[in-house]
Amino acid sequence: MANTGWDEFEIGAMLRTFDGAIEDIAGTLQEDRNYSPNSSFTASVADWRIEKPVFNKDYCIDCQFCWVYCPDISIISRDKKMIGVDMDHCKGCGICVEVCPTNPKSLLMFPEKADEETEIANWPAKEDKEK
Amino acid sequence: MSEMKKIKNLKEFSTSADRFEGANLLCPGCAHSIIVREVLNATNDDLVLSASTGCLEVCTAVYPYTSWDASWIHIGFENGSTAVAGAEAMYNALKRKGRLKQPDRNPKFVSFAGDGASYDIGFQWISGCMERGHNIMHVVLDNEVYANTGGQRSSSTPIGSSSTTAPAGRVSYGEKKNKKDMVAIMASHGIPYSAQVAPNKWKDMVKKIQHGMAVDGPVFINAVSPCTTEWKFDPKDTMMLTDLATDSLVFPLYEIIDGHELNITYRPKNVVPVEEYLAAQGRFKHLFKDEYKYLIKEWQERVDANWAYLNRREEARV
Repeated sequence: MANTGWDEFEIGAMLRTFDGAIEDIAGTLQEDRNYSPNSSFTASVADWRIEKPVFNKDYCIDCQFCWVYCPDISIISRDKKMIGVDMDHCKGCGICVEVCPTNPKSLLMFPEKADEETEIANWPAKEDKEK
Repeated sequence: MSEMKKIKNLKEFSTSADRFEGANLLCPGCAHSIIVREVLNATNDDLVLSASTGCLEVCTAVYPYTSWDASWIHIGFENGSTAVAGAEAMYNALKRKGRLKQPDRNPKFVSFAGDGASYDIGFQWISGCMERGHNIMHVVLDNEVYANTGGQRSSSTPIGSSSTTAPAGRVSYGEKKNKKDMVAIMASHGIPYSAQVAPNKWKDMVKKIQHGMAVDGPVFINAVSPCTTEWKFDPKDTMMLTDLATDSLVFPLYEIIDGHELNITYRPKNVVPVEEYLAAQGRFKHLFKDEYKYLIKEWQERVDANWAYLNRREEARV
């Protein structure tokens, strides 16, 4: 594309999400799909993050609120269980932390450089509800 | 393929394989992709999709990437709905002539558009699709502003909101004209189903989408989509804002069947004052100055009147 002039671009473009034929997309999980390099699944927006969500599975009740409200398909849920956060596609918006209903929350935001294991070891204790 | 996907609870819903990919360029905390995911995950059928120009289109189809795992087309600002309607007409013609390789797959035709591409620019095209009775679904991601181009007012922008072409300042309180009632306009085409949805009420949303996909004929869906950039709130508060919008009845959730039978599908247990909804957003900040306080009162009266109107229509079934 480097040597094309201003009037030499393709007028229309067609991108294929998958390499080869795919029969049933709705029945194929992401890890089983054969993505082509044109799918944004192969790209990453990890450098957008200032804060990252850290998942502590000890407190998770698998309610899946974070899964349904995640705008970036970054909450990985398999067999009705929350497994973790997809750090390639997470933009660090913090919605998952806001909608987490457990006490203490099983997802919390930490600075991007924070060490996950130390943060999980120092997880905040249960908060008393104000009456 | 064509039987309805069973979604009893959120755990069951979470086993869906997403057909919308991450690493799109929507802002962190954008509600657009939450709505798109809930719509696409509501069905297991094949999908033929389009998106009119707007945030969703420019952010999900950045050459050489695409975030869609289904047939998807973008043409212009105004004709996302007609592009899908054309695909639907073509599909029907090929089916009639027996030239489809897999005639029993029954794909669903859905077009996505922002409020600019539906309320203003694509209005005539959508109206045409509804009138011709194509078997399509048009989903509006209503963020009440042209967010993609820098926050110009659209005819969905509500009174008092500050936008770049209707800014609040010394001489004006911002937008002066009321929001267009698009659901009612579309329902008066006599289409089989039109509804207003919100992403925080995912069950209500999935139910409406499945109903819309099951009926034969055009379907119009208006979804509230809080915009962190133009409504000016923190990205993490998207769902809180949507909760406020539905609980303060600014965005009542209802459906209109066959253009006359109106059902209210969500009645908040505790109705929140509109003031709280306005206070959560930077675009209404100026309304809390003394000289503009009367506008908040007017807002509340307008919302109450609309709620009373919806209730009366639900009772009357006309």
